[in-house]
Amino acid sequence: MRHLYLLKAMMKKNFLIIWRYPFNLTAGIISIMMIFLVIFYGAQWLGGGSPNFGNTLEGIVMGFMLWMFIIFAFSDLTWDFINEAQQGTLEQLYMSPLGFGWVSVSYILSFLVINLTLTLGLFMLMMAVTGKWLHLDFFSLIPLMLLTVWGVYGFGFAMGGLALVFKQVQAVFQIFQFVWVALVIAASALETFPWAKFLPVTWGVHLIGRVLIGGQSLYSMPWTDIAFLAAVSGTYFGLGYLIFKRLEGIARDRGLLGHY
Amino acid sequence: MAEPVLVVKNLTKIYRSRRGDIVAVDNVSFRVYKNEVVGLLGPNGAGKTTIIKSICTILRPTAGEIWVDGADAIRNPRAALEKVAAVLEGNRNVYWRLTVKDNLEFFAGLQGQSLRSVRSYIDELIEMFNLKEKVHEQARALSRGMQQKLAVACALVKRTPILLLDEPTLGLDVETSYELRWILKRMAERGERTILLSSHDMNVVQDICERVIIINHGRIVVDDKIENLKRLFTASAYRFEIEGHFNQTQEQKLKEQFDLIKISRDSSRTVIEAELLDGQKVYEIIDVLKENGCRLESVGKQYPDLEEIFLRIVKGEKR
Ligand SMILES: Nc1ncnc2c1ncn2[C@@H]1O[C@H](COP(=O)(O)OP(=O)(O)OP(=O)(O)O)[C@@H](O)[C@H]1O
Ligand SMILES: [Mg+2]
Repeated sequence: MRHLYLLKAMMKKNFLIIWRYPFNLTAGIISIMMIFLVIFYGAQWLGGGSPNFGNTLEGIVMGFMLWMFIIFAFSDLTWDFINEAQQGTLEQLYMSPLGFGWVSVSYILSFLVINLTLTLGLFMLMMAVTGKWLHLDFFSLIPLMLLTVWGVYGFGFAMGGLALVFKQVQAVFQIFQFVWVALVIAASALETFPWAKFLPVTWGVHLIGRVLIGGQSLYSMPWTDIAFLAAVSGTYFGLGYLIFKRLEGIARDRGLLGHY
Repeated sequence: MAEPVLVVKNLTKIYRSRRGDIVAVDNVSFRVYKNEVVGLLGPNGAGKTTIIKSICTILRPTAGEIWVDGADAIRNPRAALEKVAAVLEGNRNVYWRLTVKDNLEFFAGLQGQSLRSVRSYIDELIEMFNLKEKVHEQARALSRGMQQKLAVACALVKRTPILLLDEPTLGLDVETSYELRWILKRMAERGERTILLSSHDMNVVQDICERVIIINHGRIVVDDKIENLKRLFTASAYRFEIEGHFNQTQEQKLKEQFDLIKISRDSSRTVIEAELLDGQKVYEIIDVLKENGCRLESVGKQYPDLEEIFLRIVKGEKR
């Protein structure tokens, strides 16, 4: 019960801050939309002549949407730690008797709601602008998106831990943006490289592709496919969380939680 | 005396770095009893913040034990955090983009309390800290003093029996400092909380603490009631006023013969302040003055304030 009170307080705090300072968010949305349009029309222009290119364009819309969702999830916690440390509130967050782990999870959950709404909203906008409408089966799409992103949060935790200890993590951050692109694209090469399904998010993106482009429903998929996704994501989350705990311990030894 | 609610035993903290190890806290032990207000005093870098952060679990000690109200702060930090809240030095401690009320509600929630259960206490705190007119103001728009009051209120809203305050009055104007002291004092008198606070401001410590722990270079130098300290130092501090001035050699000789002596002068007089643990020495000084043909105007006891006591202890330490 107390965990819920904390979650509620965290959600309220984050919503209030975003609501009062929507500028960053708006700027982010506009720049993301512009990148998307450049990529989409660039690809259309380049591949314009080839037959069967329609599928690839749909893949771009879907891939971009998922990449955006993944990046949000991956970077949430790191930005949070950096911001809170700069504001001088991180140590206070640390002092919750419900544990810093739960505090961080509450933070993630409150932003998950925002990320999901935003991603799906932008997804609709992208489809409307480009005229490429995919199979919008939300009851299949949303659970799969959540299961996929669960593993990403493992990386988010590990990254957040790095930020606590090393502070300057922008370089790693930028590398990862491309890693995620590669992993999303890898989903279309699963036939050639079957082992790629063990990579984070790749199998999830594949399943989402079966829904959005193939028109399949979650409930008609073999349960083993979904269980495999859960297992992969769960493993990455677990590993990432362990790394985070370890790095948090180092930060506590060296007295790094306070400064930025 | 009452039971101890905070026990620190052989606490040691060593920061390891490439340039060598820094022993920030060196085998420190002390206790704080229920409803006490204890001051932690020490010069810059003495280790005050390190001790406070170790107690509230954001820093892991190298060795030692810490018990807060029966909870083991090292092996079970979460249990300890049910018992202790802290306002840390230099930090803002509160969210600048949230209003006074939103901040108080958030920190109550962070402690796992339902809004319903704290609502009336939040109103009480707003009243107590005189923040009523600013309830819906964002923290960044408040004055420095108000922000600090809010930070203390946000620690109180957690309703822990122990409160740690690291430099709570730093950078506050006199008026706000008094107001904050008054609130803390009243709270301690009502038996609501046990407080450990660090400060550079002797007036603050003298005003609200019954006991001080003075640390220097990571070690406890003194742990005693303020009144005892004053008595001790009053018993041994003397002041001689002399007509005219000493010459260089006379002054030098006096300083060599007696430790802990301070000589100052104005236009027509010389004042000697001396720490004479042995009462016999009073006569020795008078003899020296007589030999030098000085005219003694007055001899008396000194009544030092905490600041002087502190300076003497810390300086004496260094020798
Ligand atoms: N994170 C850290 N890493 C390395 N050394 C540190 C760290 N924090 C503090 N120190 C060192 O430990 C010693 C004790 O510092 P501490 O901050 O506890 O002193 P303090 O009594 O609070 O001083 P002040 O009155 O200036 O606040 C100092 O020598 C300081 O340089
Ligand atoms: Mg300090």
